[in-house]
Amino acid sequence: MVKIESSTAVVLDDSGTITVAELVEQSGLSEDELAVLVDCGALEPREREGASWRFSAHCVVTARTARRLRDDFALDDTHALAILLRLMQRIENLELELRRRRWER
Amino acid sequence: MRYKDYYATLGVARNASEDDIKKAYRKLARKYHPDVSKETDAEEKFKEVSEAYETLRDKEKRAAYDELGRHAPGEQFQPPPGWERSFGEQPSGGGGSFSFDDIDLADLFAGLGGRARGGPRRPDMPIPGQDFEAAVRISFDQAYKGTEVEFDMSVAEPDDNGVLRRVPRKVRVRIPKGVTSGQKLRVPGKGGKGINGGRDGDLYLDIDVQTHPLYRAEGLDLYMDLPLAPWEAVLGASVEVPTPAGRVTLKVPPGTQAGRKLRLSGRGLARPDGTSGHLYAVAQIVVPTVVDERQRALYGELRDQTAFDPRAHMV
Repeated sequence: MVKIESSTAVVLDDSGTITVAELVEQSGLSEDELAVLVDCGALEPREREGASWRFSAHCVVTARTARRLRDDFALDDTHALAILLRLMQRIENLELELRRRRWER
Repeated sequence: MRYKDYYATLGVARNASEDDIKKAYRKLARKYHPDVSKETDAEEKFKEVSEAYETLRDKEKRAAYDELGRHAPGEQFQPPPGWERSFGEQPSGGGGSFSFDDIDLADLFAGLGGRARGGPRRPDMPIPGQDFEAAVRISFDQAYKGTEVEFDMSVAEPDDNGVLRRVPRKVRVRIPKGVTSGQKLRVPGKGGKGINGGRDGDLYLDIDVQTHPLYRAEGLDLYMDLPLAPWEAVLGASVEVPTPAGRVTLKVPPGTQAGRKLRLSGRGLARPDGTSGHLYAVAQIVVPTVVDERQRALYGELRDQTAFDPRAHMV
C-alpha cells in the first residue's frame, strides 16, 4: 500500500515574504537575473536594505514565470525577458479588469 | 524503454552545432508554445520539442544520448552495456543494478542534470529534485472553508541503491481557506526527490475555484447581486440575504440606486491569519412584469403624483 504524505500548501500571495536566496532556490533564476528583473521593474522588493532584499511571496510566481519564459523560448537577454514579463503582467491585469466588467454588466 | 529521436524532433542533423540546435528549438517554440500557438496539438508538440532541446542543449546529456546509439523512433531498446557507469547515477549502496524498463527517456535525462545552466557536473554533485505543477479545481465552499486534496503520482526517483525507478506516490495537501482562482500555492518538498543530498523539489498548485451561482470573488472581497423591488429601493427595507456563513438581515437605505454597493463587513473570504474581506451586495432594481388592474392604477397614480424625472439631466 502506498504511504500517504501529508503537507500544507503555502499561498504565494502578498501576505508572506521571502529572502533573495529563497527566491533563487524556488524560481530557478540566478541572483544576477533577479537583479536585472528588479532594475527593470518587473520585480519589486518589499524591503531593500543593503544586500538583504526581501520579496513578497507572490514574487515567486512572477520569477517562475520568467524562468519558464526564459527556458521555453531559449531567451538569452534578461532585459528583453523583463520587458516581456511586464507586458504579460499588463495583459493579465487587463484580462482581470475585463472579467470584472463582465460581472458588473 | 522506447527510443525517441531528439534530432529528428528538432529537425537538425546529428552533428548540428549548439547554435543550430538553439535556432531550431527557438523556431519550433515560437510555432508550438501553448501561449502563442494556434495549432490544435500545440501543447503535445511543444512538450516533445522542449524534451528534445532539454537534452541536446546540455553537452553532458547530449553525449549520453548519442551513446545510446541510433534506433527507430518508438523502438524498444536498452542502453549499451556500461552506459549507466559512464552517465547514470552511481548506486550508492553498491551492488545495485539498473533497470530501464519502467522509466522513459525523459526520466533518464532529467536525472542527469541539475537546474543550473551550464558547467560540468561532478558525479556526487547534489541535484535538486524536479518541481511538479498541478491544476486543482475546487468548489467555492471548499475555497471558503479550506479543504484537502489528494494527488496520486507516478514519479521517477532513485531507490535506496540510487537506481532510478518509477514509483507511485500519494500526497495529501491541506489547502488553507481563502484561496481564489488564479492563485498559486507551493507545497514544499513534495516534488521530485533530490539526488546526492540535493533538496527535494516542490509541488506547485494552480487554483481554479468553480463559479458560484451567487458569489464572485475579487481578492478576499465577495460580490453578489441584490435584487430589490422598486418600493424597497425607494422606501428602504430590511431584507434577508444569504452569505457563505449563513443568512443575515441587511438594511437597505431609502433611495438606494441600482449599482450601489451595500457592505456586509467581514463577510467575505478569510485567511488563516485572520485577515478577511467584505461581502458587497450590489443593488439591482427589478420591476414586476405582470401587474393586475389595481396595481396598474396605483402605478398610474404614482406617476401623476410625482414630479420625478429620471432624464432631467438629458434635457
